[in-house]
Amino acid sequence: MTTYDERASLSDLTTTAERVRRAVEGVIEGKPEVVRLALTVLLAEGHLLIEDVPGVGKTMLAKALARSVDCSVRRIQFTPDLLPSDITGVSIFDQQQRDFEFKPGAIFSQIVIGDEINRASPKTQSALLESMEEHQVTMDGQTYELPSPFMVIATQNPVEMEGTYPLPEAQRDRFMARVSIGYPSPAAELQMLEVHGGASPLDDLQPVAHAHEIVKLTEAVREVHVAETVRRYTVDLVAATRSHPELRLGASPRATLHLLRAAKAGAALLGREYALPDDVQSLAVPVLTHRLLPTAQAQLNRRTAEQIVREILQRVPVPDPSVQPWRTPGQRPPGVRGL
Amino acid sequence: MSGRARLALCAAVATLCAAGALLPLVEPIDWMIQAAFLLAVVTGAGAAARRAPLAGPLVIGVQALVAVLLMTLFFAPGEAILGLLPGPDALAEFGRLLHAGVRDVGRYAIPAPVTPGIRLLLIAGVLLIGLLVDALAVTYRSAAPAGLPLLALYSVAAGLSQGGAGRLRFLVAAAGYLLLLLAEGRDRLSQWGRVFGGPGRPERTRGFAVGGPTPAPVRTGRRIGALVLGIAVVVPALLPSLGGGLFGGSASGGGPGSGGGTISAVNPLVSLQDSLNQPEDKEVLNYRTTAADSRDMYLRIVALDQFDGTTWKPSERTVTDVPEQLPRPPGLSSSVDVNHVNTSISTAEWYAQNWLPLPYPASKVDISGRWRFEPQGRTLVGDRGQNTHGLQYQVESLQLRPTSRQLAAAPAPPAKLLREYTKVPDSLPPVVGSTARRVTHGAPTAYAKAVKLQDWFALNGGFTYNTEVRAGSGSEAIARFLRQKEGFCVHFSFSMAAMARTLGIPARVAVGFTPGTKQPDGTTSVGLKDAHAWPELYFQGVGWTRFEPTPSRGSIPDYAYPDTSAPAEPGNPAPEPSQSAAPSDGGPSADPSCGPDEQRRGSGSACVTLPAESGARPPGGGTSPWAIAGIVPAALLVLLLPAVPLLWRLRTRSRRLAATGADGDLTAGTLAAWRELLDTAWDFGILPDESLTPRKAAARIISIGELQPEPAAAAHRVAAAVEQVLYAPQPQPVSDLATDVQQVRAGLQAGAPRALRLRARLAPRSAARLGRAWSARWTALLLRCRTSRPVALTRRTVTVLRPGRRRA
Repeated sequence: MTTYDERASLSDLTTTAERVRRAVEGVIEGKPEVVRLALTVLLAEGHLLIEDVPGVGKTMLAKALARSVDCSVRRIQFTPDLLPSDITGVSIFDQQQRDFEFKPGAIFSQIVIGDEINRASPKTQSALLESMEEHQVTMDGQTYELPSPFMVIATQNPVEMEGTYPLPEAQRDRFMARVSIGYPSPAAELQMLEVHGGASPLDDLQPVAHAHEIVKLTEAVREVHVAETVRRYTVDLVAATRSHPELRLGASPRATLHLLRAAKAGAALLGREYALPDDVQSLAVPVLTHRLLPTAQAQLNRRTAEQIVREILQRVPVPDPSVQPWRTPGQRPPGVRGL
Repeated sequence: MSGRARLALCAAVATLCAAGALLPLVEPIDWMIQAAFLLAVVTGAGAAARRAPLAGPLVIGVQALVAVLLMTLFFAPGEAILGLLPGPDALAEFGRLLHAGVRDVGRYAIPAPVTPGIRLLLIAGVLLIGLLVDALAVTYRSAAPAGLPLLALYSVAAGLSQGGAGRLRFLVAAAGYLLLLLAEGRDRLSQWGRVFGGPGRPERTRGFAVGGPTPAPVRTGRRIGALVLGIAVVVPALLPSLGGGLFGGSASGGGPGSGGGTISAVNPLVSLQDSLNQPEDKEVLNYRTTAADSRDMYLRIVALDQFDGTTWKPSERTVTDVPEQLPRPPGLSSSVDVNHVNTSISTAEWYAQNWLPLPYPASKVDISGRWRFEPQGRTLVGDRGQNTHGLQYQVESLQLRPTSRQLAAAPAPPAKLLREYTKVPDSLPPVVGSTARRVTHGAPTAYAKAVKLQDWFALNGGFTYNTEVRAGSGSEAIARFLRQKEGFCVHFSFSMAAMARTLGIPARVAVGFTPGTKQPDGTTSVGLKDAHAWPELYFQGVGWTRFEPTPSRGSIPDYAYPDTSAPAEPGNPAPEPSQSAAPSDGGPSADPSCGPDEQRRGSGSACVTLPAESGARPPGGGTSPWAIAGIVPAALLVLLLPAVPLLWRLRTRSRRLAATGADGDLTAGTLAAWRELLDTAWDFGILPDESLTPRKAAARIISIGELQPEPAAAAHRVAAAVEQVLYAPQPQPVSDLATDVQQVRAGLQAGAPRALRLRARLAPRSAARLGRAWSARWTALLLRCRTSRPVALTRRTVTVLRPGRRRA
C-alpha cells in the first residue's frame, strides 16, 4: 500500500514530469497529447515508435525528450548498409592484450534515438530485439547490461516505402506505444516560424531532470495501484482484439502488460495513485494499434487498426461489480489469473 | 392487389368480424350493413391517402374527417351545412342522439330495438374501432397491437350478451384477427422478394388473401392459426373445471356424464347474483298456472342445507337423470290435502343461471336440455353449461294444504334426517339457541315452536325490514342480527332455520322467487325484485314446509296460522293472524292478502341486494366468498399491473438511497447511489452504456441531460466516489451521495420536457431491469432443469435406447 514517502515521490513525479513536459513542449508546439504520451512511455519504461510523414518533427520530438533528461543519448541513423554490430557493438582483437575487447555499440546509452528505423535491413533491426526487451546485449557468449533508464525512441515514415523494410511483428510488439505527430495547427505553425526563424530551439534546451530521478519516478509508477476490475478490463480489451473478425493478428500478452504499465504511468502523471479504466481507454489506441494486423478484407474496406480498437473500446463493457457479483474487488473471477 | 391494400381490406374485415359479436345485442341487424358500408368508405379513404402518399398522422386525420362527414350525412343531414358539413346544429343533434342512445341502452333489455341513438352508438363504435385497427395495422404496420381494439370491441359485446358470445362468434372474431396477422406476415415476407416455398404443391387462387402459389411460411401460418383456434374452442369445453369456459355461460355445478355424479358445492348464488345485479326490476320469468291461489306459488331454485355458522350452502349431492315422474316428496303422507297444479313457465332470454325455478314440490317437469335431478333438494340443475336462459317448460306440482292439526300432530322425523338437518356448528353463539328457547317457551310441539319463531320474526319480535343493514361478518352475524333486529330476507330465513335446528326441528333455507305480479293477460310476471329466501322446516307426514319469517315480504302460509280448532295452549294464546297484528315499526304490513307486488313496493329495494360489509353471505344476494376471493385479487392485479414499473422504481430508489447512509457498507452504498444515478438518467431517456467508465458516463449524462453547473458537479461527485470505491486502494468516504443523486434527478427533471418528465415518473424506462432480472432467473432455472440429474439420466437413457445410435 501507499506510504507517506511514496506519496511524496508521486508528487515529485508530477513536478518533474511537468518540467520535462514544458521543456519538450518548448520545442514541439501545439502537440501536448503527443508529448504527454512520450512522457508516459518514458515513465512506464517502454519504447516509443514515432511514425509520421517527413518533416512533422519526429526526430525533433525524440531529441527534445532525450535532451531534456540529463542522460547519455545516442542517435543511430538507420540506413540499408547498417550492420547489427554497429548497434550492439563489436569484439576487436587487442594486439597488446592479446585478447578480444568488446567495443560497445550505439545501443549502450540511456536514450537511443533510432531514426528511420525501417530503412535498415531486417537483420539489423533484429539486433534491437534483445536489448529492447531484456535491457541487455549478448555478444560472443558474454552478456552486457544496458544502463538504466533505457529507452529506444524510433521514427519511421509510413508513406515513403521504397527501399524500406517494414518492422517485423516481433519488433513492433517491443515498442510500448506508437504515436503519430500529425500536422500542427495553423497557429502553432505560425508560432513555429517565429521561434525557429533564428536558432534551433533544441540548441537552447537544457536538461531539466537527471537520469536517476527518472529511475526513481519509474519505481513510483510501479507502485501505482491497479484494481482487479481494471486488470480484468485490460485483459478483456486485449482478448477482444484476438477474436475480432477483422483482425488477422490480435495483441499479445506483452501488449496487455504494456497497456497496464502505460495506464499506471498515465495515472501517475495525473497525480493519481490508482489507475482507472479511463487511463486504459485513453492509452489503448497508441499501445495496441501498431501490433494489430487487419485482415485483407478489412484493408479492402479501408478499415484501420485504430478504427477497430476504438470500436472494441465502445463494445467491451467496463466491469461493474454491482452487476456481476463475481467481479467484486478482491474476489478473482474463476479461471482468470491476476496480472 | 398490393400488400397494403390487402392489409387494409383485412383490417376492415377483422373489424367487422369482431363487430359480429354485437349482432345478438340488438334487433334487427340492418345496422351492420350500414356500418360495413361506412367502414368500407373510411378504409378506402385511408388507402387513397396512403397512396398519395401522406404522412401517417395525416392519413388518420383524413380517415377521421371522412368518418365524421359520413356520420353527419347519415345521422344529421337536416342540421348539417350543405347536408354534409357538421355545424353547431349537427353537433347538437349528435349530442342529443348520443344521450338518447345511452338512455335507450339502459332502458331496453337484450335484444334491444335499434333506436336512432343505439344505431349511432353502434356505428360510431364500429367506425372508431375500424379506424384504430386500420391506423395500427396498415398505417403504422403493426398488426399485432391492432388486436387490442378488436379485443375491446369483442369483449364489450361478449360481456353485454348474457352467457357470453357463442362459439361461432368467437371463431369469426378470432379468425378476423388471424386474417389480419396473416396479411401482415405475407406483406412483410414479400418485402424480402420471392419466398422459397419448398416443394409444396402450387395452390389454386382462393379468395382475396391468396394471390398465387402460397409460400410455405404462409401455409404454415394458416395451419397454426387454424390449430390454435381449434384448441381455443375445444379445450375449454373438455376441461371440467371450466364448465364450458367462455362459451358455456356461467359455471356449471353439474357433474358430467349421465346416471351419476354429484353437485359440487359451488355457491348457486354466484350466477344468481350475476343475473340479479341488474340496475332495474327486469322480468326474470313469466308463468301461467292453474293454481287457484297464487299466493303459494313460490318458485324455488335451490335448497341450502349446509350450515357452517356463517352461511348456508347447498351440500354436494348425487344427481340423476330427470325421471318421467318425480318421486313423491319425502315425508308426505296421503292424509294431507293436495291440489294438483299445472304451470307453464317461460324464462327471460337474459336470465342465465344453473338452477331451474320450480314450484315446490314438483311432481313432473317437462323440459328439454341437459337437466339433472337432485332428489334431496328436489331441484333441477343444468349440466355442462345448460342454463335457464330463454326456456319454456311445463311443471306439474302439488299444492299442499296441511292443517295445523296435522302439523301439530306430526311424529318425530326419521333419525337420519333429524341428524342431518339439525346439525349446527359449535361456533354458533349460544345466544341463538337460548333466544330460540326463550321465544318458543311453552310451545308443546315442533309445529307450535315453528309458528312462534315465525311470528316472533315477522310480527311481534320488533324486527324491521331493512336492506341497508350492516350484518357484519363471521359466526357472530346471526347473534348481531338478533340483537339489532334489522335485516332482510336472508337474515330472517338464515336465523329462523338456524334457530329451528337448535330446537331440534329439521330445517333448511330455500332460495327462489315470491309469486310475482298478476298481469292483465292472466300470466304472472316475476321480476328481479321478487328474489327471496325462506326457511323450510320438516314435519313428518307433511314433508318440507315453507315458513315466512320476513316481515312485509311474501305471504305467511295458511297452515302457519294455528288452526282455530286446535287446542289452545293454556297461558299461551295462539298467535294472532297477521291481519290484526301491526308490525312494530309501523312499516308495511305482512298481510297475506296484500299482493306481493304491493308488499314489494313497500319494501323498498330488493331483498337480494346485500350490503357490501355483510359477511353472512346470505342467499338471494350475497356474492360467494370464492368469487370475491377470485375477483378482488384479480381486479387489484389488473389495476396494479400498469403501476408495477412505477412501484418497483419507487421501491428501488428508496432502497438504494437508504443504502448510501453513513452506517452502511461504503462500497455497496456508493455503488447503489451510482446505479440509481444511471437508472434515473435512463428514466429520462439516457440509455446506460456499459462500455463507459464512471466519469465518462457522468459526462455523457451531463451533456445529454443538459445539466446546469450544480447538478453537473453533483454527478461528477458521485462518479468520483464510485472511482474511489472501485479502483482506489483506500477509498475516501464521500458524504451525502443521496443528496447528490437527488440533485442530479432534479436537474434532469428541470431540463426535460413535460411529457418526458411524466414518462420518467409513471413509466420509468429503467424498469426494464425488472424484466431482464426475471428473464435471467428464468434462463438460470431452465439451465438448472436441463442439467438436473433426472433430465440428464433420461437423456442418456433415450440415447442408449435409440436403435439408430446403437447401430452407429
